[in-house]
Amino acid sequence: MQEADGNTAAPTPAESWQDVHATMERARSSMYTAGTTAILLLWGVIASLGYLSQYLIQTLAPEFAARYPWLPLPLWGGVVMMGMLGSAIIGHRAGSKNATGDAARSAGVRVFLFWLAVVIAAFAIPAAAGMWTADAAATIPRVSMGIVALGYILFGIMHRPVIAVVGAGIAVAFYVPSYLAGDMAPVVTAIAFLIVVALSAAWIRKSGVL
Amino acid sequence: MTDDIVLEETIHQSTRLRIMTMLVSIPESDRLAYGFIQETLSLTGGNLTTHLRKLADAGYLVITKEFQDDKPRTWVQATPAGRRAFATYLTNLEKALHWPPR
Repeated sequence: MQEADGNTAAPTPAESWQDVHATMERARSSMYTAGTTAILLLWGVIASLGYLSQYLIQTLAPEFAARYPWLPLPLWGGVVMMGMLGSAIIGHRAGSKNATGDAARSAGVRVFLFWLAVVIAAFAIPAAAGMWTADAAATIPRVSMGIVALGYILFGIMHRPVIAVVGAGIAVAFYVPSYLAGDMAPVVTAIAFLIVVALSAAWIRKSGVL
Repeated sequence: MTDDIVLEETIHQSTRLRIMTMLVSIPESDRLAYGFIQETLSLTGGNLTTHLRKLADAGYLVITKEFQDDKPRTWVQATPAGRRAFATYLTNLEKALHWPPR
């Protein structure tokens, strides 16, 4: 066996081969998850703002909310656009701190396209299913949030399990209040979202899994 | 292991192998940040610096320091010689894996 380093025994060929593949995988997923903690916090704040706004409109201006039942669409469209823009900026900045040139750019574009597809699906699937009607509108968030949570879970399975756990947390933060909290559901969800993302960010930072 | 297959000593060490793997996984003109390598491989600064120096001394990578947003940043890039050495290393590693030939 060769001695590769003064006092350290060289790895076996099988160990080295495994090391090469594991490192490639780890490096690729590190590129894809650049800026995740900040992006997670941003979305926690954005989703909470969306739910709080929805709750405030329904509570403080019920006639207005009844006259414009489609109001959540532009409201959520606006906050989601802000979130996508913010995530793109954070992701780009984080990626350019890790690598230069095509390496960072292509990882950033792929991640952006993944989340763009999730967001489009969250709006388009309910539309394609014929749910954009006055009767079914109230159930649209239950489909949309399921798609978003699934996005987190799939991304986590592919790159970092902690993100899949965050996805499960988001699902719990949304579905439990939506079925149990009645009219208070938006405000309970807003608070639960903030708690989930704050705990997730603290866990990620403490464990250094990203 | 066989005497017929020689795995280049500088690369055939776990940490340096991982560093080289990261560097050759990106396009030739691109560089990786020192901090990114350190975090991805969970290394201490001293450990990473020692191994980078050995690889740089062998001519397999170059280390550059520059300012980005008024902050000093250290970048690491595989040289063409480093990429060739890594490719040869992988070829030999594959041979070693299948040794003795059936």
